[in-house]
Amino acid sequence: MSFTVDVDQNQFLPEGGRTVNAVVTVTSSADMAVASSDATRSAEIIMVDCSGSMDVPSMKMSSARSAVCAAIDVLHDGTAFAVVAGTNTAWPVFPADGTMAIADPISRAAAKRAAMTLRASGGTAIGTWLRLACAVFETYPAQLRHAILLTDGKNQHETPDQLQAAISRCDGLFSCDCRGVGTDWEVAELRRISTALLGTVDIVADPASLAADFAAMMENAMGKQVADVALRIWTPQSAVVQFVKQVAPAVADLSDRRTQTGPQAGDYPTGAWGPGESRDYHVSVAVNPAGVGQEMLAARVSLVLGSDVLGQGLVRAVWTDDEALSTKINPQVAHYTGQAELAAAIQDGLEARKQGDEETATAKLGRAVKLAQQSGNEDTAKLLAKVVDVVDAATGTVRLKKSVADADEMALDTRSTKTVRVKKEHG
Amino acid sequence: MDVTAEAAGAACPACGRTTAEGDAFCEFCGAELAPAVDSAAAPGFVPACPVCAADAAITPAGVTADGYCESCGRKVPTGRDHVELDLGLLAGVTDRGLRHSRNEDAMALATAEVTAGPAAVAVVCDGVSSSPQPDDASLAAAQAAIRVLLDAVRMGDDLQEASREAVREAATALTALAGPAGAPSTTFVSAVIESGAGSSAPITPSTIPTVPASAQTAGEGTGPGTAAGDTVIIAPDPAAPAAGADPAAADPAPEQGEPDGVITLCWLGDSRAYWLSADGAQRLTADDSLAQEMVDSGLLGEAEALATPQAHVITRWLGADIAEPRPHVSRFEAPGPGVLLICSDGLWNYLPEAEDIASLAMPAALSDPAGTAGTLLKFALDAGGMDNITVVLVPVPLTQPRSSL
Repeated sequence: MSFTVDVDQNQFLPEGGRTVNAVVTVTSSADMAVASSDATRSAEIIMVDCSGSMDVPSMKMSSARSAVCAAIDVLHDGTAFAVVAGTNTAWPVFPADGTMAIADPISRAAAKRAAMTLRASGGTAIGTWLRLACAVFETYPAQLRHAILLTDGKNQHETPDQLQAAISRCDGLFSCDCRGVGTDWEVAELRRISTALLGTVDIVADPASLAADFAAMMENAMGKQVADVALRIWTPQSAVVQFVKQVAPAVADLSDRRTQTGPQAGDYPTGAWGPGESRDYHVSVAVNPAGVGQEMLAARVSLVLGSDVLGQGLVRAVWTDDEALSTKINPQVAHYTGQAELAAAIQDGLEARKQGDEETATAKLGRAVKLAQQSGNEDTAKLLAKVVDVVDAATGTVRLKKSVADADEMALDTRSTKTVRVKKEHG
Repeated sequence: MDVTAEAAGAACPACGRTTAEGDAFCEFCGAELAPAVDSAAAPGFVPACPVCAADAAITPAGVTADGYCESCGRKVPTGRDHVELDLGLLAGVTDRGLRHSRNEDAMALATAEVTAGPAAVAVVCDGVSSSPQPDDASLAAAQAAIRVLLDAVRMGDDLQEASREAVREAATALTALAGPAGAPSTTFVSAVIESGAGSSAPITPSTIPTVPASAQTAGEGTGPGTAAGDTVIIAPDPAAPAAGADPAAADPAPEQGEPDGVITLCWLGDSRAYWLSADGAQRLTADDSLAQEMVDSGLLGEAEALATPQAHVITRWLGADIAEPRPHVSRFEAPGPGVLLICSDGLWNYLPEAEDIASLAMPAALSDPAGTAGTLLKFALDAGGMDNITVVLVPVPLTQPRSSL
């Protein structure tokens, strides 16, 4: 598997211009040439909520058991794995000694038998689940570590600080996809975990779809071949990286995830990669302007794995007095600026709605409808239409719906960061 | 990029054996001992960022393979963007400037050792931006011309005729570049500087009248000058301000003794030659430009003419579309110590008056032509650097500066 790094930008700045924006597209090649022995490099942990609420209705717990089994069936032979149960505390379900098992027909069957014994009882302290996952992962030297976390409720039995400390403990050790079943959980809470641990967050409103969702998540995880890939961004002396955001397939701000790796360079984590993936990053750098006619390297964006450089792209700045050049807005930069604003407008609008500020909620969600329509983000437009009555999408005129299903609101919230791509004009 | 002349009598650069002083080629292996040098692109980029090197506050860093400074990020010049040549007897610099994406100026320099003493040759060409491949055109013309001129100096040929032949050879080189896109074109100015009275047959004042340099009109039909192709002897300008010097020293008096040097000039277009001295700096060439035509016809003063939009439209050039180029040729006898400057309009646009250039360049140019070329370049860059800039300086009389001996 190899990587390409492409940069899309308008390199022309007016005289005195300082801000350089670029969309960096990282694409992995589609070749899957991986020997089966390589599967031993990956480890998976499934964390299942076994709090008392999982029995209300009782179908949630039974669906969770089936979902764990479905995910175990997808594990490739040779993958290290474990199942962890969580309430206000956490315990290893399989293997019961808190280590990891190697997937084969026998271990998979044993794990599924253990999963079927899971019963609901107790509270919710997700930080304890994460800490146990760390301890279990550390019993096995894998290069690709990934976890699935399922909950149905709020993190009631520990403080937000305790949860944050647990997240920090996991950061860099494994990635984690989070799923909330039902509508009694907190989107912001799971998003905090999934964002920090470079995973996804989504709602599974109907417990019946849990098994298919778990299988798909595990399938995706099994496709990953390299972990801990980072974007290394070099900038000139006295330049400032204003932000680094993943903008496709979903918006994720990486700006405060920077690790300084040299006097003029810092790394931003991108997590694990499988073949045939493509992600876009919006990089914004403020530079000291040079004279008209001069060219500057505003940023060198390298994709690094340890000390290996997997690919590289250059973000340039050229100062010109030709306004036709300097005023041209790059379509990719404009599009993703709009997609990031769309995500923010949805989250702000839903928050205002929760606070009872209908005026702000209407304005923000109206703006979101307009942006979704303009950018052709049809999935988000559909989710928005379940929360507001759209009077005129082109102008963003909307009315808040009198009653909105919790599941619809949470689906809009969790999926607000999903973006669409534009057809590139070139390259 | 610095190129330093091989001192005469030094080891052959090809076989290492000691050569005889004054030899053009190695007696053993036949290698050319002091070949002409030019501003052709050196491969790759300069090894250090000139901006950071000049700033004490910036930590020095390298230059990436793709030509960016690892410290400030600026694109550093390529070989062709900024070339410095220093042959001791003469030195030059050519630079992209600040507003153009590439350097379409070119220069070529050479030295020779003949019986009369050392000799120097310089060619500066400024590619015509409206023609295709102007950068290739200027370099090809400079390279072709310097070969002809250097051979002529070594052989003791007539340098005025050799100058015309150099232009013909340069034109042939441009014809080879021409394609469907059109005719690559360039301005041209060459100078051959000989020690003393020169090795070629001097033209006696009785056969060709001395034209006061104040006329400076060698263009055809552009004023009281002579027909193109005629030789003009430019004597020191009696009208030029004699900055505190004895006015008699500036009198045209070729019969009064041997001059400090003899300069054979040949040009087409608006690249210029100047004589810089403390007591009589003057321009030695007349532009083939609409501005010059307006001045010559008395329509406008020089400053007004240069301010008109068409001022820089040149009326003659060297190009594949010109079947028989008719260059101006002139001979100048240096009345005393001074410095010959040849340059492209990237310099003189900001400083057209000879006295002004002299006040900036003298007396430093007499002893440090390379450093002073850099001073004049910096002046043009600081003034805006709107065009490519090329500056060549030749101190007269020709002497190897001590530092390079």
